[in-house]
Amino acid sequence: MSSSTEHIEEPLIKGNPSFGKITSVISRISEKKAPRMWYVAISITSSLAALMFVSIGYLVWEGVGIWGLNNPVGWGWAIINFVFWVGIGHAGTLISAILFLLRQKWRTSINRFAEAMTLFAVMCALVFPGIHVGRIWIAYYMFPLPNQMDMWPNFRSPLLWDVFAVGTYFTVSLMFWYVGLIPDLATLRDRATTKLRKFVLGILAVGWHGGNRQWKHYELAYLILAGISTPLVLSVHSVVSTDFAVSIVPGWHTTIFPPYFVAGAIFSGFAMVMTLSIIVRKLFALEDYITLRHLERINKIMLLTGMMVGYAYSIEFFIAWYSGNIYEAFTFINRATGPYAWGYWIMITCNVVVPQMFWFKKLRNSIPVMFVISILINVGMWFERFVIVVSSLANDFLPAAWDYYSPTFWDISTFVGSFGLFLTLFLLFIRFAPIIAMSEVKGVLPEADPHHHAQDHDHKEPNDGH
Amino acid sequence: MKLDASTYRLSEAGRPGQIGLILGLLGLIAGGAGYWVDSEQFFFSYLTAFFYWFTFAIGGLFFVLLHHLVAATWSVVIRRLAESVMATVPFMALLFIPILFGVHDLYHWSHAEAVADDVLLQGKAPYLNFGFFALRAALYFGIWTLLSYLLRKISFKQDKGEVQDFPHKTAFISAPGMIAFALTLTFASFDWLMTLDPHWYSTIFGVYIFSGCVVSIFAFMILTFRFLGKNKILTETITIEHYHDMGKMLFAFMVFWAYMAFSQYFIIWYGNVPEETIWFIHRWEGSWKTISLLLVFGNFGIPFFILITRVAKRAGLMMVIMPIWLLIMHWIDIFWIVTPTLHKHGYHISWMDPALTIGIGGIFFYLVWSRFIARPIIPVGDPKLKASINSLSH
Amino acid sequence: MAIEKPYGILARFQDPGTLLKAAESIRDAGYKNFDCHSPFPIHGMDQAMGLKRSPLGWIVGATAFCGGSAALGLQWWTHAIEYPIVISGKPFFSFQAFVLVTFAMAVLGGAVAATFGMLFLNRLPRYHNHLFFSKQFETTSDDCFFISIDANDKNFKDHQSKEFLESIGGYDVELIVES
Repeated sequence: MSSSTEHIEEPLIKGNPSFGKITSVISRISEKKAPRMWYVAISITSSLAALMFVSIGYLVWEGVGIWGLNNPVGWGWAIINFVFWVGIGHAGTLISAILFLLRQKWRTSINRFAEAMTLFAVMCALVFPGIHVGRIWIAYYMFPLPNQMDMWPNFRSPLLWDVFAVGTYFTVSLMFWYVGLIPDLATLRDRATTKLRKFVLGILAVGWHGGNRQWKHYELAYLILAGISTPLVLSVHSVVSTDFAVSIVPGWHTTIFPPYFVAGAIFSGFAMVMTLSIIVRKLFALEDYITLRHLERINKIMLLTGMMVGYAYSIEFFIAWYSGNIYEAFTFINRATGPYAWGYWIMITCNVVVPQMFWFKKLRNSIPVMFVISILINVGMWFERFVIVVSSLANDFLPAAWDYYSPTFWDISTFVGSFGLFLTLFLLFIRFAPIIAMSEVKGVLPEADPHHHAQDHDHKEPNDGH
Repeated sequence: MKLDASTYRLSEAGRPGQIGLILGLLGLIAGGAGYWVDSEQFFFSYLTAFFYWFTFAIGGLFFVLLHHLVAATWSVVIRRLAESVMATVPFMALLFIPILFGVHDLYHWSHAEAVADDVLLQGKAPYLNFGFFALRAALYFGIWTLLSYLLRKISFKQDKGEVQDFPHKTAFISAPGMIAFALTLTFASFDWLMTLDPHWYSTIFGVYIFSGCVVSIFAFMILTFRFLGKNKILTETITIEHYHDMGKMLFAFMVFWAYMAFSQYFIIWYGNVPEETIWFIHRWEGSWKTISLLLVFGNFGIPFFILITRVAKRAGLMMVIMPIWLLIMHWIDIFWIVTPTLHKHGYHISWMDPALTIGIGGIFFYLVWSRFIARPIIPVGDPKLKASINSLSH
Repeated sequence: MAIEKPYGILARFQDPGTLLKAAESIRDAGYKNFDCHSPFPIHGMDQAMGLKRSPLGWIVGATAFCGGSAALGLQWWTHAIEYPIVISGKPFFSFQAFVLVTFAMAVLGGAVAATFGMLFLNRLPRYHNHLFFSKQFETTSDDCFFISIDANDKNFKDHQSKEFLESIGGYDVELIVES
């Protein structure tokens, strides 16, 4: 039951900070020396990232045979990890774009690092199809480059749509993120004390001076970017879903796949935002900025999207029976009771059962509970992709062609390593960039409203009551 | 038509409702006569007309559920109209009864001899049989009626200032209500429309129908408020900002409809499995092709380029033309889903289609209007009302 | 007072409310070439300064249309003209399958136009700006509110403008000169 006390207008940011306080609290994170924990963390994560690069190097040397792929299961962990990471990447843009359009002001505390998280997740995602092509040195065949062989990419292939959709998504997210950063980079520039810092930030801040003539174009650009990112974010995972849905493999070929994948992506992305916000607010003492109220809202969104995913599971199951198609029906029974049933039940437990705890206000407001649940949701979402990819391929039309799939060491090391890459990039981000959008947080403070002081200025403009 | 400035109730406002009632009765009598002319055509026209107006009622219910669920502010001021729309749900149950009598004409699965030599239909018989079909319909209407009753009751209590902790209480109803709503609407659209072709199936079908429901409620609300505005009612309360917001929702859900429609079409087209493509082949046969193309351009292509502009959403005339246009397209969408089952080789609009659509529509409007004018036309007791009136669009 | 001609004049204001009101006064006094600086965008400021709505939307729309058309054209040309080949029994120009890439490229075009169009309309990027000569101006990205009037403005007169800014609630008024 989503309760809200909006009408009492509880402040979004606690402790009633002044504009200056926000600047100094957020800026100082990137200005002072990093805490020792940061060095410990980044050495662990960069070692993991190194593990990934070693695994990739060996893969390039030896070929995809080092993975656990076998004859019916030609798509294994690589595609699972790809979908998993792209999915996580959805929350950032969703928070920046959709919540912005819906005028959900609470997003300002979390949008910056959710966007950063999007970029890093999409980078991790792009690694997997990139290395899965087999002959990496000719990966540029994916792009429509004129060549003497007169060869063009197959634009009817969903895998090529992925290249365009995910590539666009990455580029647009990067621009959106950077546009959002400009005013904050200007803040850092103006606070810079060393020459080098002033110079570098001076370039990065592109000469921003915070004049309303700049804000005018800036605000519209932000609105437009939000407006076009919204269909983009929905399309990206829809396109990813067509990798499966346009085939006729049982369990893959089903019309609900596009919105179902999108809901799942938002679900897992918010779970990752939750995991990271809890760590960040603790690490940098940002409890007043990322408040329990913010976290509770994320929990509600997770509950909602978890229900959507559950809806898709049920409708798929029903239609598999209703269709009268014996292969469809078998696939779904097989998922729940066959060789991969353990994966299926992990998925159901983590994605459908566990989030139900968020119905209770007490659990929704308990940090340890939400931390654990957010991790479990991502476990469940990884298994959702595992169930879809592996169970459908391993047991399809011809029983004679069935085989059991299991990963090898290299599958696991590449996946674990990708977390290293993700977290390393994230740690670098929280060290060097403003992790909370200062100008946006200032903008949602009550003092930012020009009519806040209306009583002492008797400012007249009735149409503009905001 | 007059608005009492303190109670926010309309007086001398019965006329639109009376016109609706008269048109409705005339339409129903005329259309009803069609039953004796061609009973099969009558039931198909009736199903189209019924389902069309049903999407308004259910769209209203969805709007109110969503409004409470997200504790929205800007939409407080338009909530009462949506509540009046959803109040028609129990009457929709009455209007559904003729369909029960038409099951044999409408649904191939109800023919025992057809089931006898069809293995697939035998497999589906536990679901597709008259008893269970009627029982499910009763269940759906029961749930919708309950939700609409509870949400209206608490809203009226709020008018009198008798509700403590309103957001919490409404959320307590709407959160489980939303789940029940999603499942019931999905299965209702499966039952009433998808099983017209009992061999065909599509998992997205429920969401597709849902998208049309939301388009219709926003279009209806924009038009009704424009009508009130023309009579100098609420002109200061429902401002251009609200039209802009409703226009954005209209645009968003129109795009959502296109997204659902394209997903359904595209995945079936690409997979090219005969048992699925047959549904689209029927809708590409003969003159049905024209209707299919009309939907692509009329329900998405053209309005997309118009409604995407800020000017259109804030312009007086466009915010009348586009809702009407989209409502016509929405009718064609339902017609396009229902009627190819009867007229396989090309579209055919019988005189019963407009007659029954006007008939049920008139009754629907009468019901909405009489409920709307019986209470304050905005939720006067809502503490967020003032913020809602002043809300500013982007 | 510096000998060379100043670049403009800068005054500080108390809060967003006074800034907005001051902007209205400056607009009404006939100044054109002035700007209001704040750490965040202020609602209603465009109106107060008498600025027109940004034309960015049209730029973005046109570019997105071009991006989408180019993508669709490329797919049509490569698959139907340049190297027609039957793949999975689909027509050469199977527009259904081309929708997704067309959409992605339209969005990409729009987003690039939004980002770079915004920079272009703001005459950015640039490393320096004469306002940066002022030491106190550094606080505008923190918590202070300023109004600057450019020396190019036809109403601009050092002393008159200074008095005018002070009369509408500005303080710490400063002529901007090279430092």
